[in-house]
Amino acid sequence: MAGRGKLIAVIGDEDTCTGFLLGGIGELNKNRKPNFLVVEKDTSITEIEETFKSFLARNDIGIILINQFIAEMIRHAIDAHMQSIPAVLEIPSKEHPYDASKDSILRRAKGMFSAEDFR
Amino acid sequence: MGLDPKQVSLRLDQQLLRFMDQLEALEEKRERLNSLIEQGWFSISKARYSMGNKQVSALQYASEMEPLVHVHTRILDNGVAEFQAESTECKTGNVKNCSVAVESIGPNEEGLRRRINMKQKSIQEENVAQKEPKKSTAEREPQGTTKAEPSEPQHQDPLKWFGILVPQNLKQAQGAFKEVITLSAEIATLQNAILATRTEMQTHMKEKQKILIDPIND
Repeated sequence: MAGRGKLIAVIGDEDTCTGFLLGGIGELNKNRKPNFLVVEKDTSITEIEETFKSFLARNDIGIILINQFIAEMIRHAIDAHMQSIPAVLEIPSKEHPYDASKDSILRRAKGMFSAEDFR
Repeated sequence: MGLDPKQVSLRLDQQLLRFMDQLEALEEKRERLNSLIEQGWFSISKARYSMGNKQVSALQYASEMEPLVHVHTRILDNGVAEFQAESTECKTGNVKNCSVAVESIGPNEEGLRRRINMKQKSIQEENVAQKEPKKSTAEREPQGTTKAEPSEPQHQDPLKWFGILVPQNLKQAQGAFKEVITLSAEIATLQNAILATRTEMQTHMKEKQKILIDPIND
């Protein structure tokens, strides 16, 4: 496996970001742009969406981890992302347990058995 | 070219079974991921309790960060993207960065040194000064010091952001999240495989319906 590999980005609450940064995913690039966003009470949805889109546009990011409750806020942007790289993974947060029925990938997979697929 | 509906059905069945297997594997991995993340949070909370409320927060993040984990991606023949997490922490190539530099203290020459009287010492020094020409200042390096190398980006352990002596809980949290990172790469691969299987199945279903609706033309 040659090359440096891609990064993992995180959009999440403070503890989620802290945990993943402890795991060693954090990077501040030459332009001092981080590969994570700590979402606090006063973080606007526009900011979250812009950050998410900027992560999608970066070609050095391979996986985007996002708390499911934050993913719910920008669901349209997540559903619009169809490429396999970067992969978007929804993870639970402290206050909001993971709900498989809300996961965009599993909803797409579930759609497999809907009436539309049999037309 | 006529396609046998039986063959298409058989292929569809196989794909459906694969699809179900993949979903099952995803569910298992998801469960493990969720429990590991929970463990991680719990450990962070414990560390916060013992260190103080403000000691484990975003304020402690370093101003310089270098990633210790990378994800290698490649597209397989069937179009599925595969992700593999790799930790660059203490690879053989990076030993220089990872290992703590050992400072050499004391004289460079080995063996015992003999103590000498002050008188003798001053006479010897005079003799040496007469024999040796003056050394340049660059040559006269103080013993026991090592030159700092121009820095490549240093891979600092993120634990150090929170202090030198961090509680064990924070280390446990780090371990849990490291495992989560590896697992998340596996889940990303699996998610991609599921979507690819779904697309394949949809294509085959349409084929089958075409055959069933219009069997004569096919």
